[in-house]
Amino acid sequence: MGEIKQIKNLKEFSTSVERFQGGHRLCPGCSHSIIVREIVNATEDDLCISTATGCLEVCSTIYPFTSWDVSWIHIGFENAAAAISGTEAMHKALARKKKGYSDKPMKFIAFAGDGGTYDIGFQSLSGAVERGHDFMYVCLDNEGYMNTGGQRSSSTPVGGATTTSPAGRVSYGEKMQKKDMTAIMAAHRCQYVAQVAPSSWKDLVKKAQKAYQTPGATYINAMSPCPTEWKFDPSMSMEVSKVMVDSCVCPLYEIEYDPQTHNYKYTVNYEPKNKLPVKEYMALQGRFKHLFKPEFSHVIDQWQRDIDAQWDYIRRRQDAGV
Amino acid sequence: MAKQHRVVWDGNMAASQAMRQAQIDVVAAYPITPSTPIVQNYSQFVADGEVEGEFVMVESEHSAMSACVGAAAGGGRVATATSSQGYALMVEVIYQASGMRLPIVMNVVNRALAAPLNIHGDHSDMYLGRDAGWINLVANNPQEAYDLCLCAFKIAEDMRVRLPVAVNQDGFLVSHTAEVGEHLEDADAYGFVGDYTAHNPMLDPAKPVTYGAQTEGEWHYEHKMRQNYALVNAVPVVEEVLKAYSQLSGRDYAPVECYQTEDADELIICMGSVVGTTTMTVDRLRKAGRKVGMVAIRLWRPFPKEALAAAIKNAKSIAVLDRSCPMGTTGALYNETAAVMVENDKSANLINYIYGLGGRDTTTEHLEGIFDDAAECTKAGKRVKPIIQTINLRGKSLSFYE
Amino acid sequence: MTEEHLLKGWEEFEAGALLFSFEGDPSQRKFHENNSIHHSVADWRVLKPVFNEELCIHCQFCWVFCPDTSIIPKDKKFGEIDYVHCKGCGICSDVCPTNPKSLVMFANQTPIEEALRNWPAKDEKKKENSDG
Repeated sequence: MGEIKQIKNLKEFSTSVERFQGGHRLCPGCSHSIIVREIVNATEDDLCISTATGCLEVCSTIYPFTSWDVSWIHIGFENAAAAISGTEAMHKALARKKKGYSDKPMKFIAFAGDGGTYDIGFQSLSGAVERGHDFMYVCLDNEGYMNTGGQRSSSTPVGGATTTSPAGRVSYGEKMQKKDMTAIMAAHRCQYVAQVAPSSWKDLVKKAQKAYQTPGATYINAMSPCPTEWKFDPSMSMEVSKVMVDSCVCPLYEIEYDPQTHNYKYTVNYEPKNKLPVKEYMALQGRFKHLFKPEFSHVIDQWQRDIDAQWDYIRRRQDAGV
Repeated sequence: MAKQHRVVWDGNMAASQAMRQAQIDVVAAYPITPSTPIVQNYSQFVADGEVEGEFVMVESEHSAMSACVGAAAGGGRVATATSSQGYALMVEVIYQASGMRLPIVMNVVNRALAAPLNIHGDHSDMYLGRDAGWINLVANNPQEAYDLCLCAFKIAEDMRVRLPVAVNQDGFLVSHTAEVGEHLEDADAYGFVGDYTAHNPMLDPAKPVTYGAQTEGEWHYEHKMRQNYALVNAVPVVEEVLKAYSQLSGRDYAPVECYQTEDADELIICMGSVVGTTTMTVDRLRKAGRKVGMVAIRLWRPFPKEALAAAIKNAKSIAVLDRSCPMGTTGALYNETAAVMVENDKSANLINYIYGLGGRDTTTEHLEGIFDDAAECTKAGKRVKPIIQTINLRGKSLSFYE
Repeated sequence: MTEEHLLKGWEEFEAGALLFSFEGDPSQRKFHENNSIHHSVADWRVLKPVFNEELCIHCQFCWVFCPDTSIIPKDKKFGEIDYVHCKGCGICSDVCPTNPKSLVMFANQTPIEEALRNWPAKDEKKKENSDG
């Protein structure tokens, strides 16, 4: 276990030696790289990273350039977790045989989008987590297949217009509920799962550090506002992120599983002083524009009820201590 | 020559024991018939404390090969085993293993591919991975499954090669058939394989490396050709390793095995467990005065073109056996043979037999029939049989390409 | 556009299409020619952020929220803008808490001096926001 890097404030954090370089080809204003920087700069331990096919992968390693200052591998869309589980197993084996390349602590991370997590990579993630490999899995959740032009995934929220769940004369867009991946990963008995948003940098860094320090597999659902496919101005990414948090569309919370007592401890890490209506969040994004037509207003009403219920549920779990 | 121990092992046990002796750092695997016993045997070695490396029981073959790639890129010795549908599920990732030049060893216990579902041996899975850029060795009995598995590590990890190696053995006929064989002592076996040589390991923080970048139009062709260069030029390394192993074990292997070919008018070219049956058939017909012989392909990829050309140079009629349905053309081994003939201005009557699908028996009688067909062609001085014929198939006689 | 000097022959590339981050010891931070730090994305930019030192409180919001690692801090203070990697998304300006802002987006071709001369005035309606 490595030392926890002291990051009391942004000034201190800004002295970090960058581990993810510019020159990558992510869209202007992309939240992915903000999240990635917050996570990889939150530790000084050595890192090995796998990344699933997707925006981050394709934009950070277009030959002949890599943006990664740490070891990194991409194999496929559905196997970021399996890939890093192999690297982590190799690390363990070589350490046991005293043939390791370094005695310093090494951390393992898998990054994947929601397509690579909620959909095609779900099995690989479930397997690697169940096997207890010591790694942090970070889902960069932008609620669709944004690398290929914004198709729906099982993370796309109800009413969201995507290129495969478009809004039309008779449709308000996506019909299916977003999968509750964080709860699913908690049910795997990960000792630590959390949801984060890039605008809440301190919360994110703290959670990343907690995940680094937790033995076994940990899961971070990082909501990642996507200017290109959520359809807002690139300069607005952090604004959208903030409203997403303040409307409780993205509640900042964590679940700690205690393997001794089998208890799940929910903690809400941030309670908005002034909880914003979901309508404000939706109004910022073109993907929900059609919902503001009178015939689809029921979708927004349902959203508000769903978000309120989810927020209430998380807080009740917190209060009950289970 | 090193000391050897006599044992009765089936092909699966032979492969598992070779894996144990190679002191693999990470085995990531998922059980599938008929290679399941390899995974089970290895589990037992782990349970008995005979393995120091990691054994990762994953949730699918796709993850098995993915974890193998992640582990090999990490920087250590890696192996696995699979068959058939599991191999098919791995296919996406076996291309990644070779493209990243990772020296993974995989025991492939060959089995048919569905549909219709069938658990028995044929070469459909081996042929599925034909163009995946792996070195493919073919073991025709349990002894060879052991020997070639040890050689596979040495070939794969050779700095001139750095490519993954598959060791194929026929499902059930090799994998589940116990035969008397010999094995090396652990120290000699490991001594032969040697310590793993690291090359660009991800786990070395002193040299961070990116694996799996996207190479678009200006780069992809160059990388694939470099990979192919390494694969094509692996033939002499394979020969070198097999020769070194022969000095240690006394068992000789070559990329192309010739049996009574020198003066043979009719030849059968084949791979896998049918090699044993064909050898017996050749012996029987030789006793009857027939000039017949056999060529067994030991190295399926990279294809040993020169050795095959030499092996068939005197033949008048050649029957090529393919244990996979070619689906819309001639069999893959037939095609290779035809190419070698054209390249060497070699003319002979060439016929193709599709046999043994889904574990269908092929006996010495069937093989005698093939030699008879070939002899008829020799006598007529031209091909008098359809290009593709079937063996031991029920129903109306079926052939293709008159 | 591909950097011409990197277009090598098939036999010259690292086998397996691998890329390296550094030349030699990583702590020396000598970036390998294949590190994307050597790749300019400046031509993506329509607007560019301009920095006004007079107004900056060195909060580092622009640094932490820059998706292109293009705000280079120095000794816990604002250091400089890396115009080779900045794509002009405007997040740095958006998150800047000072009033008027210390980072403002101008047309990419605007000279810095001209931008500083035309700096927007304090927004009287906006409450100063420094809690992020």
